[in-house]
Amino acid sequence: MKKVVFMMLTIIVMVALVACGDRDEESVDDQEASDETEGATNDEGEAITAWAWDPNFNIRALELADQAYDGEVDLELEIIENAQDDIVQRLNTSLSSGTTQGMPNIVLIEDYRAQSFLQAYPDAFYPLTDYIDVDAFADYKIETTSLDGEQYGLPFDTGVAGLYIRTDYLEEAGYSVDDVQDITWAEYIQIGVDIKEATGNNMLTQDPSDLGLIRMMIQSAGSWYFEEDGSTPNLANNPALEASVQAYRELMEANIVSMVSDWSQFVGAFNDGDVASVPTGNWITPSITAEETQSGNWAVVPFPKLEVDGATNVTNLGGSSWYVLNSDGKEAAATFLANTFGSNEMFYQDLINEIGAIGTYLPGMQGEAFEEGHEFFDGQSIVADFSEWTEAIPAVNYGMHTYAIDDILAVELQNYLNDKELTDVLEDAQSQAETQLR
Amino acid sequence: MLKKNNIGWLFVLISIVGISLFYFYPMIDAFLLSFQSGMGANLEYTGLNNWMRLFDDPTFISALTNTFTYLIVQVPVMIILALVFSVMLNDPTLKFRGFFRTAIFLPAVTSLVAYSVIFKYMFSGNGIVNQFLINLSIVSEPINFLTDSFWARIVIILAITWRWTGYNMIFYLSALQNIDHSIYEAARIDGASTFQQFTKITVPMLKPIILFTTITSTIGTLQLFDEVVNITGGGPGNATITISQYIYNLSFEYTPNFGYAATVSYVIVILVVILSAIQFKVAGDKE
Repeated sequence: MKKVVFMMLTIIVMVALVACGDRDEESVDDQEASDETEGATNDEGEAITAWAWDPNFNIRALELADQAYDGEVDLELEIIENAQDDIVQRLNTSLSSGTTQGMPNIVLIEDYRAQSFLQAYPDAFYPLTDYIDVDAFADYKIETTSLDGEQYGLPFDTGVAGLYIRTDYLEEAGYSVDDVQDITWAEYIQIGVDIKEATGNNMLTQDPSDLGLIRMMIQSAGSWYFEEDGSTPNLANNPALEASVQAYRELMEANIVSMVSDWSQFVGAFNDGDVASVPTGNWITPSITAEETQSGNWAVVPFPKLEVDGATNVTNLGGSSWYVLNSDGKEAAATFLANTFGSNEMFYQDLINEIGAIGTYLPGMQGEAFEEGHEFFDGQSIVADFSEWTEAIPAVNYGMHTYAIDDILAVELQNYLNDKELTDVLEDAQSQAETQLR
Repeated sequence: MLKKNNIGWLFVLISIVGISLFYFYPMIDAFLLSFQSGMGANLEYTGLNNWMRLFDDPTFISALTNTFTYLIVQVPVMIILALVFSVMLNDPTLKFRGFFRTAIFLPAVTSLVAYSVIFKYMFSGNGIVNQFLINLSIVSEPINFLTDSFWARIVIILAITWRWTGYNMIFYLSALQNIDHSIYEAARIDGASTFQQFTKITVPMLKPIILFTTITSTIGTLQLFDEVVNITGGGPGNATITISQYIYNLSFEYTPNFGYAATVSYVIVILVVILSAIQFKVAGDKE
């Protein structure tokens, strides 16, 4: 008797465990499956799913797009928030096993990773060439989101960069905002030294593992880690990179850099007033304005310039675009994107007003919302400035190995700071890149 | 007789099928994968290329050296600490034994990510450790614990030692219960000092457990991932990257090359086999 009871208990436990396991793993599929059947039977419109990260930015943009959608086909949009790392992982695991099951119809991919996905998984993405007017978007976005003449991504936000700077610190050091317009890195460092002397605060933060600053510097001169083909490493004998790395070292040696090791320390440093400037992408605006006590003390000026041929005062950091997976529902998803992000000018006004997101659809980049002055920035209309710069960002082919090169270069950069010769540094990085990226 | 055997096999069959399907098949498949290379889904066989590539891949070499640094510095320190703690806590005259045991074991039940994040904040530029050092005037400028390659390694080693010492201590504590008191008594009568008792009785009696904990710690260190990713992210400039993190980077951070990632994973397998064999040879019994 006892044995029978024991057996039954064991079986119950096992069944329960198996059932639990199933439910956990397949909840997403179930949701989608049920949505799909719903769409098919209820006539409520075709169901499409979208994955994105950042609830305050990308997810909000999708919600606004859902409201703005006025196409002929009825659509049910389900928005699922995932961390960017998770999206990258899930795309990689699913696409490499050749399945699109459990995958969304629309997915957001960072521009630096775009070519990697497009080339590593041919046929996994649905071309949008016939759905959107490619010429209506900023050049530099098209370069990174297309492959072999087909347009795969629908360009979304611009990562146009500027120099956020504390006007009160500038004044204390005897400078005005006009003195920091269109400056070079050498001038920037000099101002940084003066500010440190006057206020005791460092000029900027740096994370030694994050080469965002170097990437911004080289793109401002129209150069990148790779040749134009996006796969031949272009590290040794790259004057822009050479100048960037030198500027980086000068920054470090001027002792005006606060070292940080993650995002929250980075944000904390300028919110606490520990640094006088933040050279980065415009998506940092909400984090800057989050510290209300500093209202009126910030300005945004053009990014400092390198002293090499082709150098400009505009550049880009980050930014991402929408992609449609080549699976059931791709036409509906493409239609949805084309109707909203791809052509609706009013929608871009909403994006500015509601979430401060600056797009890269040029016809949508004018109007009232763009001209309005921002109180936090002492009345400066930063959106207008950023969108003006967006059009001038030098187009480069990010290629598919941005982050791999980042890691190689981060090591060599440390060696350079420890007095390794500059030419050796870049040549070693070049040869490492060549052996690694095959 | 035959029938009886068949029924027996039937019972075993379930686990054989399960193990083959979920252990052996992936292992063989990963081994085959380690001879392929390419981006994402475009894999093709490239012979021994991946294995040759290991030797002139500086990131792999620094991952390997870092992992061995952790191994050589951290495992002995942790094992000795765990031994000392367990012997101290095994002393029946010690008051609040239960409290100390729990306190030292507690880190082993905290989540890897949670404690890593706390370590990261403690050792950040304006973290509690730096404030402490500055307030005591030991240093004048905050030490860049996480952005300096030497200090970053120290922080990682500190963190894993804190996390795993208590875990190993529990094994020793339970093994100590099995050592007969009369042995110590006889040793005392023969005039053995406490230290002699420790080296001549406790350590030899604990040898199998020491071997076991050394092997599990070695394997654990070779697979180190969570701490490094969360505390330093492998930085600055690969100074703390481990083999596991490199595998992750190859698969998910860079343009995926699952073939080469599989090769690097097999390096861990080979290392575990070699190191365990050495440890058995050095410390194990004859049979």
